[in-house]
Amino acid sequence: MTTTNAPLPTYQAKDYKSELKPIWCPGCGDFGVVQAIYRALAAIGRPPHEIAFVSGIGCSSRIPGYTTAYGFNSVHGRALPIAQGIKVASPELLVLVAGGDGDGFSIGGGHVAHAVRRNTDITYIVMDNQIYGLTKGQLSPTSPKGLHTVTSEYGSLEEAVNPLLYVLAYGANFVAQGTPADMAGLAEVIEAAIRFPGFSFVNVQSPCVTFGEDDQQVKNHRATMQSLAKLGHDPTDRLAAMGLAQKYGKELHTGVFYKNPDPPPTMNALIKERQQVLSEKAPPRSRIFDRFLQT
Amino acid sequence: MGMAGSGGDGIVSAGESLISAAAYEGYHAMMTKSFGSQVRGGESSCRVRLSTARVQNPGGTLDVAIALNWEDFLKFGAELPVSGDTVVIYDSKTGVEPGQIPLVGVTPKEVFAVPIGEMARRAAGTDKAKNSVVLGLIAGWFGIAPGSIVRGLNKKFAKKGPELLAANERAFHLGEEFAKEHPLATPRAMAPPTSSGSKMLTDGNDMCAAAAILAGCEFFGGYPITPSTEIMQFFTREVWKYGGAVVQAEDEIASIGAALGASFAGKKAMTATSGPGMALKTEILGLATIAELPLVIVNVQRGGPSTGLPTKPEQSDLFQAAFSASGDVLRPILAPTSVADTVDVTVEAFNIAEHYQTPVILLSDQEIAQRKETVDPIDTSRFTFIERKRPTAVDLQSYARFRMTEDGISPISHPGMKGGNYQGAGIEHNEQGNPTASGKVHAAMNAKRFRKLAPLQRRRDLFRIDGDPDAPFALVSWGSIAGVCREAYLRATAEGLAVKLLVPWLVYPVAEEIYREFFGSVRAGLVVEASHQGQLYRILRMYVDVPRGVTSFARDGANPIQPGDVVERLRAAALALQSPPSAQQIACEE
Ligand SMILES: Cc1ncc(C[n+]2csc(CCOP(=O)(O)OP(=O)(O)O)c2C)c(N)n1
Ligand code: SF4
Repeated sequence: MTTTNAPLPTYQAKDYKSELKPIWCPGCGDFGVVQAIYRALAAIGRPPHEIAFVSGIGCSSRIPGYTTAYGFNSVHGRALPIAQGIKVASPELLVLVAGGDGDGFSIGGGHVAHAVRRNTDITYIVMDNQIYGLTKGQLSPTSPKGLHTVTSEYGSLEEAVNPLLYVLAYGANFVAQGTPADMAGLAEVIEAAIRFPGFSFVNVQSPCVTFGEDDQQVKNHRATMQSLAKLGHDPTDRLAAMGLAQKYGKELHTGVFYKNPDPPPTMNALIKERQQVLSEKAPPRSRIFDRFLQT
Repeated sequence: MGMAGSGGDGIVSAGESLISAAAYEGYHAMMTKSFGSQVRGGESSCRVRLSTARVQNPGGTLDVAIALNWEDFLKFGAELPVSGDTVVIYDSKTGVEPGQIPLVGVTPKEVFAVPIGEMARRAAGTDKAKNSVVLGLIAGWFGIAPGSIVRGLNKKFAKKGPELLAANERAFHLGEEFAKEHPLATPRAMAPPTSSGSKMLTDGNDMCAAAAILAGCEFFGGYPITPSTEIMQFFTREVWKYGGAVVQAEDEIASIGAALGASFAGKKAMTATSGPGMALKTEILGLATIAELPLVIVNVQRGGPSTGLPTKPEQSDLFQAAFSASGDVLRPILAPTSVADTVDVTVEAFNIAEHYQTPVILLSDQEIAQRKETVDPIDTSRFTFIERKRPTAVDLQSYARFRMTEDGISPISHPGMKGGNYQGAGIEHNEQGNPTASGKVHAAMNAKRFRKLAPLQRRRDLFRIDGDPDAPFALVSWGSIAGVCREAYLRATAEGLAVKLLVPWLVYPVAEEIYREFFGSVRAGLVVEASHQGQLYRILRMYVDVPRGVTSFARDGANPIQPGDVVERLRAAALALQSPPSAQQIACEE
C-alpha cells in the first residue's frame, strides 16, 4: 500500500481505442457508436482491463475488438447471457454488451426480457440499422413492414419490433436512444446508462450505408431528430416514456426515455447479501459431504 | 427387494427408511426408484439391494417382491423380475389367492397374502401407515435392522408429532409380529454388516454438485430438466455459502452462455442438463472450444431421442457428446460408473477443463444420478485441484492469449488482470486473439487445440482394468452398466472363465494405446451398454482394431441388463470361439 496521495490515473478517449482497423464500410453508423463509447468510458475513467465488453455476431458485434477492453465476440444472439454470467461471477467489472437489431431482437430476443428482470448492472447497446448488415441486406426484426430486401422481394409481411417499447414493457429501469448524428448526445446517454445502477438499455439508430434505406442515413437523422429533453419529457415517467416510444419508426427521439429515480437493488447486490448471510454458518468446502452421513 | 404400489402408498418412502437404516448399521446398499409418467400419484416402485459387501448394481431377479396391488406391480415388468427364488408378499385386500397371483411363467418360492392395509388402519387409523407395516414385515422376516428402522421412524416423525410417531411404531410392530407368527419355510436372515460405522447415503446428482463445489466451482447456470435438476437444486442451496452464485436461466442456451461468461471472468463454472437441453447447448460448446475456455457440462442421460423416456436411464447420448459440433472439435467426455465415483469423476472433469482450457462433458445417466447408494465417508484431502495456467508478469509484458506453445496450452488471463486484455472470440483468431481468415493460422490453431489434449489419451488412471492381462475374454462397459459388468466379471471369473474387464472414466477421446494393449490378448468379448446402437462399441471401432470376436451387447434403455445376461453371452462367445467366427456380428437387440 502506498502512502502518497497519487492522483488516480485519468483516461482519455484514445486509451480505449485499439489498434485494430474496423472492417466496417466507410460511413457506417457504427464508427460513431464506437467513438461515443470511447468518450463515455473516458468520462467514467475505469481502466480498460476492468471492462468486459461482450457482443454477438454481426457487423456491429465487431465493436469490442475496436476497444482496449477485454472483449468477447461470442455467437449470434447470445451476448446477454454471457455478459450476465461475467457480471454475476465478477461484480467488480464494468460490463458492456453490444450488437445489432437482429442479434438482440431476433435470434437473441428471448434473452432481453430476462436480462431486464435479472437486473444485473450491465449496459446493453443495440446498433439498430433495421437490416442485416453482415449477411448482406436481409430483413431484420426492426425493418418496417413492406420493406423490400433480398429476402423480401415483394415487401416484408411482418410488423417491426419496437425495441424501446419492448424493453420498457419488460420493466427496464433505464431506457435511452441516440444517433451518431448527435455524437455529444450519444456519448452522454451511453455514459448515463453505464453509470445507472442496474440493467440499462441504449438503442442507437446506427445507419447501414450499404444496405440501409436512403432516408435512414445520418444526414436525415440530423434533420429529423428531436431531443426528449427539449420536448420537455419527464424521464421519471414510465407511461409518458411508453407513449413516446410508440413513435419508434416514425419519429427519431434522442435522449433518456426512462430512468427510474429510485432504482431497485441490482441482482449483484442481492447475491452479495445472500452470500454474506449464508457463508457465516457454512462448513468448509472440505466438509461438504458430511451432510450425507447417516447419523 | 422390489416393491410397488400406487403413488399414495408410500412405497418409495418405505424403501428410503429401509436403506437409511441399513446405511446407519454399516450395510452396503443401493436403491433405485421408478415411477410412471404422472407428475404425482400413478404407480411407483423401488428396488433396494442390501449387502455386507460392496453393491455394484441394483441386482437381477428379486429375493423379495412386495406388491401393494398387482396392477401397479405388473406395470414395472422387467424392472421387478420375480423368479423361483423370490419370496412374494402382497396385500391380501387385492382379493387374489396366493395360488393365483398374476405372474406368468414363474412359481415363486413362497407367497404371503398379508392384510397390509387392514393392519395399517388397525394400528394408525389410516392407510398411510402401510409403509410402516411393510417395514415391520421386512424386519421380522429378514432380520434387517429393526432397531435402526424404529430410530429412523423417530427421526422422520419428530416434527410431525408424537401421535403420528406412536401410530407408525404400532404399525411397524404389527408387521414384525405378523412375520414372526408366519415364519418363512426356509428362513433367510441378513448377516450382520461386516464393517461397522455409518456410511453416507446419497445419489449421483447430489454427489456431482457437492464435488463441483469441493473442486472450487463458483458459478452454476441451469435450466430444469429431468433427471438432472437436483444438481441445480443442490447448488441453489449451497453455493452461496462459498461465495458462488446460481442463475436459473431462461433456457439451456442462456445457462451455458452464463456459465461460459463466468469462466471467461476467471471462475470455475458448470452447467447441467439432459439430452434435449444438450442439443440446445451445442453452439456455445463450440464457442468454448475455440475460445479455449474451461467449462464442465453435465449431461444426465435419459431415454431419447427428443423427450423420449425422461425418467429412465439410457446411454444413447455418447454420439451427441462426441460429435455434435460444427467444425473440428475434440472435447473430453468423462463418465462416472457409480454414485461414489461421481465424486472422483466430477473433480477430474474440473481438473481437465481447467488444465487444458476446454469444455468437458460429464456423461452421467438417470440411474447413477437418481439412485441412492451407500458411500464410505470421503477423505477430501486425497484430491488435488488444478487451476488454469495464469500468465506470469513476464507473459503480461507482451501478452498473447493464444500463444503457440509446445503443449498447446497458453496462459489465460481474465478481465481485471492488467496487461492481459484480449478479445475472446468464436471467430478464428491469431495468437493475439484478433480475427483472421487465414487458412494457415486456422490450421495451426486447430492443431494447437487438438495437440493440447493428446496427453489425456495416456492417462491410465482414467481406466479401471481388472483381470489377467493375458485373458482371452474381455468385457468393456461404461457408465451405470459398468456396475452390472463388474458383477458379471466376478461371476464369470468364479466360473473359471479367463476374462478381464475394462471400464473407462475417459470415454472420449478414445485412448487408442490403452485399448490396443487391452485387446492384444483378447479373442472374444462384449462391449456392454444401454442403447440401441451400441454407441461406445461403434466409436471404439472408429479408432481401434477391435478383435473380431468382440461384439456389441447393447440393449435399449429401461430394459435392464442383468449380470446373468452378460455371463450367459460371454459363455456363448467362449463356446463360439471353438468354431471359427463367420463374419463380425453386431448383436444389437431388437
Ligand atoms: C446461429 C447463427 N445464425 C446465423 C448467423 C448468420 N448471421 C450473422 S450476423 C447475422 C445478422 C446480422 O444482423 P444484425 O444482428 O442486425 O447486425 P448487423 O450486421 O446489422 O450489425 C446473421 C443472420 C450466424 N452467424 N449464426
Ligand atoms: S454493411 Fe452496413 S452495417 Fe455492415 S459495416 Fe457496412 S454499413 Fe455498417
